[in-house]
Amino acid sequence: MDDDSLVTRVAGGDDAALRELFSRHAPWLAARLRAVLPAAEVEDVLQETFLAVWRGAGSYRPSGAAGAWLWGIARRQAALLLRRRGPAAAGLPAGVTAAGQAGDPAEVALSRVELAAAVAALGPPGGPEREVWRLLYEEDRPVAEVAALLKVPQGTVKSRAHRARRRLRAALRGGTAAEGGSR
Amino acid sequence: MNVDITDLTRRFRRTQAVAGVSLQAGPGVFGLLGPNGAGKTSLLRMMATVLPPTSGRLRLLGRDPGSYGPRREIRRRLGYLPQNLGYYPGFTVAEFVEYFALLKDMPPGQVPRAVAAAIEHVGLGDQARAKLRTLSGGMLRRAGIAQAIVNEPELLLLDEPTAGLDPEQRVAFRALLRGFGERATVIVSTHLVEDVGAACTEVSLMDTGKIVFHGTPDELTARGEGTGAAGDAPLERGYSAVLAAARSTTAAA
Amino acid sequence: MSDMDAPRPAGAPAPWGTAPPDVDLGRVWTGVAAQVWRRRPGPLERAAGRLLRSPGLARALVATPSLLLAWIIATVVVLFAGAAATLATGTPYVALLAPAVAGTGIAYAYGPGIDPAWELSQSMAVSGRMVLLARALAVFALNAALGLAASALSGAAAALTFGWLIPMTAVCALALAVATVTRSAAVGVAAGMAGWVITVLSSAAASGDLTTAVTDPALILPYLAFAACCGAVVLYATRIPRGTS
Repeated sequence: MDDDSLVTRVAGGDDAALRELFSRHAPWLAARLRAVLPAAEVEDVLQETFLAVWRGAGSYRPSGAAGAWLWGIARRQAALLLRRRGPAAAGLPAGVTAAGQAGDPAEVALSRVELAAAVAALGPPGGPEREVWRLLYEEDRPVAEVAALLKVPQGTVKSRAHRARRRLRAALRGGTAAEGGSR
Repeated sequence: MNVDITDLTRRFRRTQAVAGVSLQAGPGVFGLLGPNGAGKTSLLRMMATVLPPTSGRLRLLGRDPGSYGPRREIRRRLGYLPQNLGYYPGFTVAEFVEYFALLKDMPPGQVPRAVAAAIEHVGLGDQARAKLRTLSGGMLRRAGIAQAIVNEPELLLLDEPTAGLDPEQRVAFRALLRGFGERATVIVSTHLVEDVGAACTEVSLMDTGKIVFHGTPDELTARGEGTGAAGDAPLERGYSAVLAAARSTTAAA
Repeated sequence: MSDMDAPRPAGAPAPWGTAPPDVDLGRVWTGVAAQVWRRRPGPLERAAGRLLRSPGLARALVATPSLLLAWIIATVVVLFAGAAATLATGTPYVALLAPAVAGTGIAYAYGPGIDPAWELSQSMAVSGRMVLLARALAVFALNAALGLAASALSGAAAALTFGWLIPMTAVCALALAVATVTRSAAVGVAAGMAGWVITVLSSAAASGDLTTAVTDPALILPYLAFAACCGAVVLYATRIPRGTS
């Protein structure tokens, strides 16, 4: 049975469907949350998430993106918890964000996790798009240097970068399709 | 010592169901074997404080079940699965387990979590809200086990718990026994000899109201070696050998 | 019946897949399931739990078959039909019906033989016997209250309004005792009804007045003595469980 049908059944009060959803999605949700929160808090957030699923399954519109919907709920619960407990809970120095702006540490932490998952959607580590992304954007090297390192023409580097950006945008927009890694 | 029994007897009009049993048990899994009519169920019922003994000394969890207050305390820490369970057909599994959790004086705040844990422990997670009348025999038995363990008892008494369970479920059940046996005294009465052997640290064999053997499963197996006793498996042979010896002794006496 | 067990390997607690090793998903699910599967007691049950200082006893009371809504409605219908009939004809039907109705309810207070899980309930901290007695009292009290209301409505004289309470006690005790000893609610009901009908008819035959059974003061002591004997039978029958193996 697909996820959409499961959520519909949960909305109808089927607790066995909730159990199946849990068994499918709790592991990868736990892994993603664990990057941001300590284990005990991951457990609390997961519990609140699935209780929210139980209560709010009626508001889900079947769209094939149940995973994204679940992550959205988990994200909200995690953000709530992080704001309550302060930035120290996420292991981030207070007020750290891009370009020196004082941002919400909870959002920063969660965005980082989402980005990491989206990057994983680019393919396995060492793959063409992944490598280009890493060298060009994470390590901030010029195109010529990346082309030399990868031993490919600059045009290839540019087209791979373009593909990577497109995939990343799609992944971030859809809340990421790669649940739990390079699938 | 969770169970301390000395010379316990139980008489029903003209029959001596239990004829002088002594037993001491601390934490661990104890098997109670024997043919039908050996007195296993009567002994178990006395330990479950359901049947008063005719004579002898019975102390459970350090208390005397003869008086009301201590008996109630014992029952709060007790888990019991009778041979014939009986169930309320209109109850769901969760309602059934919760009902007995409350009757064991569990604080209501702890009950929902304990009920959920017990139901998952026996593998009935998908049937939690199914009515008991829709369940198979094996599932009903597992629901019975769930109510027995819901209050994390210090003394767990199970009478023929594996009736209706398929081999896979029996494996899981033995794992459950071992888990509980680490902290509590678990006493399992069964006529399925091999079932017992795999999980028990000690075994008692009863015949006509008396204990005719007490020791480890290996010791019971050893009793059967070289005697040509009946049985398809080592423990069964030990079982037959001990019974035969006990009966010939009685006949000779 | 086919065994439709969930397809989980080895019947073990569900293996929850590969999560970070320090995150206990089993514990998380137990927390979720606890809230999803929980039963929320109604206001009556919560009040009873506080009053009796035992949530278990309150739960057992609420689950009494003869205290369920359908049963209560049936009782109300019978008694108030009796009240209407009394207003129409002058014969005090409520006084004559109430003991029979109550006796029926009492027999279904669920004791040995009727309660399929009786053996198990005897091993409970809140024992089966305690539950049975609490239920019998609750059923009796409810029937008495309903009967009094119906009686007052029917405009009966004061003597008749209260006069049937004592016979009702005797009938209930008889029904409960027989139900407990024979382990059958139906037999208990039959015994209670039969006993009551015989009492009413024989006292009517002796005095010519149908209401003698509920109005004759000479009968009060015999009723109470009889009720006490039946009560003792119930206590005895619920103390020693049956079974010989």
